[in-house]
Amino acid sequence: MAAAASPDAVRSDHQRPQGDARANAVVADAVPHVRLAGVGKSWQRKLDTFVALDNIDLCIGRSEFVSIVGPSGCGKSTLLMVIAGLIASTHGSVYVDGAPVERPLTDIGIVFQRDLLFEWRTVLDNVLLQAEVRGLDKAASRTKACDLLAKAGLAGFESRYPHELSGGMRQRVAICRALLHECRLLLLDEPFGALDALTRDQMNLDLQRIWSEERQTAILVTHSIEEAVLLSDRVVVMGARPGRIVHSVAIDLPRPRTVQVREGAAFGHYYAEIRGAIEHA
Amino acid sequence: MPDTTAGTVWMRRWVERSVGLRDAFLVFVVGCALLEVGARAGLYPPYVLPAPSAIALRLVETAGLMWGHMLTTLVEIVGGFFLAVVVGVLLAAAIVFIPFVERGFYPWLVVLQVIPKVALGPLLIIWLGFGYLPKILIAFLVAFFPIMIDTMVGMKSVERDAVFLMRSMGASQRSTFFLLRLPHALPHVFGSLKVAVTLATVGAIVGEFIGADEGLGYVLIFANGSMDTTLMFAALIWISAVALVLYMVVGAIERACLSWHVSQRSGAGAA
Ligand SMILES: Nc1ncnc2c1ncn2[C@@H]1O[C@H](COP(=O)(O)OP(=O)(O)OP(=O)(O)O)[C@@H](O)[C@H]1O
Ligand SMILES: [Mg+2]
Repeated sequence: MAAAASPDAVRSDHQRPQGDARANAVVADAVPHVRLAGVGKSWQRKLDTFVALDNIDLCIGRSEFVSIVGPSGCGKSTLLMVIAGLIASTHGSVYVDGAPVERPLTDIGIVFQRDLLFEWRTVLDNVLLQAEVRGLDKAASRTKACDLLAKAGLAGFESRYPHELSGGMRQRVAICRALLHECRLLLLDEPFGALDALTRDQMNLDLQRIWSEERQTAILVTHSIEEAVLLSDRVVVMGARPGRIVHSVAIDLPRPRTVQVREGAAFGHYYAEIRGAIEHA
Repeated sequence: MPDTTAGTVWMRRWVERSVGLRDAFLVFVVGCALLEVGARAGLYPPYVLPAPSAIALRLVETAGLMWGHMLTTLVEIVGGFFLAVVVGVLLAAAIVFIPFVERGFYPWLVVLQVIPKVALGPLLIIWLGFGYLPKILIAFLVAFFPIMIDTMVGMKSVERDAVFLMRSMGASQRSTFFLLRLPHALPHVFGSLKVAVTLATVGAIVGEFIGADEGLGYVLIFANGSMDTTLMFAALIWISAVALVLYMVVGAIERACLSWHVSQRSGAGAA
């Protein structure tokens, strides 16, 4: 694991698809699912250009669960949007299944940092938006949506409107919306930010279960180091000004993981390493 | 029995509202009484301010006749208003989605807006004659601009990430429009409709001033010619009633369509 801890290991990932950093990836293909090569993004502002992302190299294997942590404003959300093809990078390229991303990816599920529920739709209809836009089977989607909502603790709220929900409940609806369709890539931007600790633990475990059943590739942005270690195969630490990857830690803990994992020595070790990396970024 | 419950709730709401209007009604009664006393005491000549009782009598006497004129004016207002809604919303969508329309037409629409529409009236009469058409057109011209502007604002103020969400689902421009932009713009649109319906009333009446042989605006001008102040007040009351009813109809449709919106929640904002 030592090699994975140095930034160089991250940089060289795309030259060595079977790199140490992904030794933990459950399925390791020759072609990584997502590959970022020298990705940069600058925002043109009135007086200057602001470098939000600088020379990001990152390889993510199929079915790998990667978390991104880093200080606020370091460009985590921007990075997710670039991977999704929703924001064009100003340097470098993103490859998905080896093909450069030139238009918004549609084979993905995204949870945005803000819940983005449509106020004029009920909870159920918000989740079903996914099915409506994609033209999925109505009855089957409805059953699945109700099922997801029930698992998220929202049974009985199907016909409520978003304004009748708490912030945490709204965020859970947004997660259900992202999970409604079959997809191979999940992009999650602080999906559990608005939840209390207990619900958060529960949602973490639920996400782990869903992920281990469906085996999507998942990229999770979070401010919680514990959450990152608990869920991930690998935690990537970003630094600010300019936004860049400063560290990468492969998490070698047996799955399925329970919340008790947090009490173990290995967990504490990972925690300290990531924390140190963020502080020194 | 849910029906009965719904019925009682409705009844209760009506009673509450009527109680809310009690003070307004009181002011009305006292005001009328004062005017009546003033007129009978001869404080001012009846051709300046007729006694409320005289106006009321006149309203009753002319009811049948006025009803016909009212229908004419109503057709003009509603016609102009509907045209304004359709054209306003379509133009707004075109301006938001087609860059050429924004560059080529929007400046001219602004120019059109600063021309006093009333000044166009005589021209429209020459072009279109004395029938409904010029009045509908003036009502439309006056009413459509606020609808267009507010609809544009509503469609443009959609959050970037909401559009991203739609794109990541593979939504076409068309479904993004119908599923996101249009519903998002609806509160703005309805806000402008209330203004527009009042403006359309003004437009229709002014159109009748310029040249007409029927309608409430015509009655007003006719009464003016014969110094019949009482009839003028009667016509004014009819016009106000039409405007009020139309405003309330738009408000009711808004409430039915926007139950989800902040502005419609009980206790939200100032009443
Ligand atoms: N549309 C934009 N125009 C200009 N600058 C932007 C834009 N979007 C983001 N930025 C800048 O890019 C930087 C990165 O933003 P981003 O939202 O990716 O941060 P983040 O890491 O997700 O932060 P947080 O943890 O607070 O969500 C910020 O400094 C922000 O000011
Ligand atoms: Mg963010």
